[in-house]
Amino acid sequence: MNDAENDADATDRLLLQRMSAGDRVALSVLYRSYHGRLCRFLSRLTRRADIIEEVINDCFWIAWQKSATFHGDSRVSTWIMGIAYRCGLKALRQHGSEPVDEDSLPEDRIPSHDPDDDRVLRDWLGKGLDRLSVDQRVVIELVYGVGHSLDDVAVIMQCPVGTVKARLFHARVKLRNVLPGLAGEVSTTKESVP
Amino acid sequence: MTFPTDNGRDCSRAWEAMPWVLLDSAPQEQNEELMAHLSTCESCRAEFAQQDRLRRAVSLPSDIPLDANVGLKRLLARLDAPQEEPVRARQGGWFTRALVAAVLLQAVGLGALGIRLWSEEANPAYRTLSQTAAPVAAGAIHVVPDTNMKVADWDAVLRNLHLQVVGGPNDVGAYTVVATDPASTPEQTLRQLRGTHGIRFAEPVAGTP
Repeated sequence: MNDAENDADATDRLLLQRMSAGDRVALSVLYRSYHGRLCRFLSRLTRRADIIEEVINDCFWIAWQKSATFHGDSRVSTWIMGIAYRCGLKALRQHGSEPVDEDSLPEDRIPSHDPDDDRVLRDWLGKGLDRLSVDQRVVIELVYGVGHSLDDVAVIMQCPVGTVKARLFHARVKLRNVLPGLAGEVSTTKESVP
Repeated sequence: MTFPTDNGRDCSRAWEAMPWVLLDSAPQEQNEELMAHLSTCESCRAEFAQQDRLRRAVSLPSDIPLDANVGLKRLLARLDAPQEEPVRARQGGWFTRALVAAVLLQAVGLGALGIRLWSEEANPAYRTLSQTAAPVAAGAIHVVPDTNMKVADWDAVLRNLHLQVVGGPNDVGAYTVVATDPASTPEQTLRQLRGTHGIRFAEPVAGTP
């Protein structure tokens, strides 16, 4: 853990401590601080905005209830991501994966500030991630997106580090095989768009 | 595991190091080692470039627009609801209760079956050679009637001598009988049996070798 991560974790612990005393302001700060990364993390599990919001709220409902029982065995972010992962899997079991077809998304749901390059990159990634299992997508997000170590990911997914290593390895191999081709596809699509 | 850029041991090490170098979490030595390798290996250089692109793509903010303030407002409202539990838990409540009931029912059934099997094992329908013989009533006699004796004649013998069959016939056709008349002695009954037409064999049980 670098200094910035240590500072962030110390802040999170303080917020949790205040939450355990019933401080809703602390809850609001923590909620806003994690909302973006949880939203992106859960979007690797499902594309339904309503489910994502429900899972984020379930996650913080549990964090609120259990804040006093956090003993600091891991980073707060690892703890919260673990809760979100389990809530997300529960939601998937209940609702099914029910992915929303990207093309069916109304135009205003794509952020307006999204520059073309980002959109191309996003499409390329989306097509690549579609080739992976849910667990592989989660590992890619936690490692490349959130920057968690293999040990952290093992805690979040409640599995041995070796399993995480294998999932990361197979995900990378699969992406390595498909992404170059998809880059061509996406470029072609982009060029063909007037 | 076979590494996809397995052109040598260095490529494998480079493949392992790439994510951590990209995320700035690799030790300096590993970082330098990878950079040195990339300067000489085109294949790993291409892979590293793609890994970097992957990291940038994954790091982009979510394209699913969700308002944190709206979500937070809903969460706070939920906290105000007394004893509220997650919606899914409530919806799954009846199912969970049904499962618990089924498991309990199974447990009771298994228990009853176990007790029955145990009681059957305690009184098996067989006897081993090492076990003592089943207790026989005092004064019991082994009797072998003639094979040609009619059932009516055998019944008449039993009735006349006040005898009751308590066992048999065994493999050699012997019955075990006891006297129902308390006045008659075993010796007397034995004599009468031996003198009865159609009785081939009569011996007291205790005296049987």
